[in-house]
Amino acid sequence: MIELSNKTTFAKLMVNAIKANQLLWLLLALFALFPAVSYIFDQPFWNDVAMRIMILGMAAMGLNLALGYGGMVSFGHAAFIGVGAYCVGICGYYGITSGWIHLLLSITLCAGLGLIIGFLSLRTSGIYFIMITLAFAQMLFFLFVSLETFGGDDGMSIDRSEFTIINLYEPLQLYILVWLALLIVATSLMFIVHSRFGVTLRGIKSNESRIEAMGLTPLHFKIVAYVISAIICGIAGTLFASWQEYVSPDIMHWSRSGELMIIIVLGGLGTLAGPLLGAIAFLLLEEFLPGLLHTLVPNYAENWMIVFGPLLVAVVLFGRGGIAGLIDKYAPKISEGKN
Amino acid sequence: MASPVLELRNLHKYFGALTVTNDVSLNVMPGQLHALIGPNGAGKTTLIQQVYGALKPEQGSIHLDGQNITNLKTPARIRAGIGRSFQISNVLMDFTVLENSIIAEQARQRKTFQFFTPAFSDKKLIAGAKIILDRVGLADRAKQKVADLAHGERRMLELALATAASPSLLLLDEPMAGAGPEDSQRMTDIISELSKNIAVLLIEHDMDAVFKLADQITVLVAGSVIASGSSYEISRNDAVRAAYLGDDAA
Repeated sequence: MIELSNKTTFAKLMVNAIKANQLLWLLLALFALFPAVSYIFDQPFWNDVAMRIMILGMAAMGLNLALGYGGMVSFGHAAFIGVGAYCVGICGYYGITSGWIHLLLSITLCAGLGLIIGFLSLRTSGIYFIMITLAFAQMLFFLFVSLETFGGDDGMSIDRSEFTIINLYEPLQLYILVWLALLIVATSLMFIVHSRFGVTLRGIKSNESRIEAMGLTPLHFKIVAYVISAIICGIAGTLFASWQEYVSPDIMHWSRSGELMIIIVLGGLGTLAGPLLGAIAFLLLEEFLPGLLHTLVPNYAENWMIVFGPLLVAVVLFGRGGIAGLIDKYAPKISEGKN
Repeated sequence: MASPVLELRNLHKYFGALTVTNDVSLNVMPGQLHALIGPNGAGKTTLIQQVYGALKPEQGSIHLDGQNITNLKTPARIRAGIGRSFQISNVLMDFTVLENSIIAEQARQRKTFQFFTPAFSDKKLIAGAKIILDRVGLADRAKQKVADLAHGERRMLELALATAASPSLLLLDEPMAGAGPEDSQRMTDIISELSKNIAVLLIEHDMDAVFKLADQITVLVAGSVIASGSSYEISRNDAVRAAYLGDDAA
């Protein structure tokens, strides 16, 4: 996979890649510095919100590979998050507390499930593909609802994973682990979408029959992209379980899959920074919109979706390309490179 | 005598009760431009679709360079040496001309499952892609977005992509469709140039172009071959004149 000519060193490639994707790296840097900000303002709770944004953003980045770059409208990716989270819960139930095993199991299971679901559902397209992925996700949802041993509907509480020297009960260490995972996922995706595989995948989204006319089998590329995106969602789920110390089937409810899509559309479909921006916007709105609404029109705080919905429609109608698209338009200097 | 690049043996294809390909046998020889003409609904595109692998004939067989490809899927047939342009422009609209060509170049190299090195800034790929574009004279439009190209240029780009892998057979489905006189002329020149090295099976309604380009013309009416021969023979053939060209044609 890794093929470098003598002249290009890894460092040089990395520098070029960072230059070409400044917005993404700006966001990663901000997340790295954020604990200092919350320390100065003495608001440790902010770190919690930031971690949730990073984990959700990571999952959205995973889905974005299938949805934004590959044009596969999967309506079932929350299932992979759920499987990743239950890996921690179920392993913990049987006394396996090592986070490495949790991660390994989550990656293996999500790759396998992604392969099976992708293989079966990618034979269809359009609305049928959406419905089949939804159906698979619902199957998994009800499977976990029925597993009484693991809490069924009520879910199960979880002990945070143990990563050798890292103690996840130290909030800062958990934060660093989540950030590192995000960094690895973001860097991998950055290389994938610009690679030969990535540009072929984007070509398939643009025009599948032309790629076929080049002698390639689009299905192979789509399945691989689908599996990678499932794995990333699984990793996000594994981290989410440790962060929340609790998992229930609710995590894989179809509305969660919808939320992931909303985050991607809001942030910018098929961009690297988009899902992160979307996650920031989505969770901040979710956090502060009710309060804002309460001060404006008391007693209507719980109906914050009534403002959020039209906002999303406005973004889709007027800000095509989402927040990343807007930044691209008004601050092209820091936007994503078009290579 | 040289063996044919493409050989169709007694192809039959039915859409329900309708016979769309009726016992068609046809050879495309090396270096030959073989034109397929016939009125609308004669089954020309259906025939090309069978060669391409998008439709499967009910009977008969298809041979490319002596290899039976009747049961191969489309991508495998492309790899065996077929290139194709479609009736409606079929290029990657969201990319630039050069990017289109780069994607074709890496497909030609059959090195597409690489996940690390960036493709669009790969100097070797760019060099290969430029050669592909040079064949149709689009190298100076490399940076242009395909969506911003004129119709004629898109057709040229498609031709470039279809020939990227140096196929032994090129299927051209109405390459002049919708092109103005200037573009048609340019297209005719390019196809004429390409057909020196590649065997071509061409469907075209522009009779001027067909008679200028074709070494052999096969006339298809209602799924059957009613005549096959040189431009001269076809233009003199009474059955063809009656069925298709009209009495005042050619």
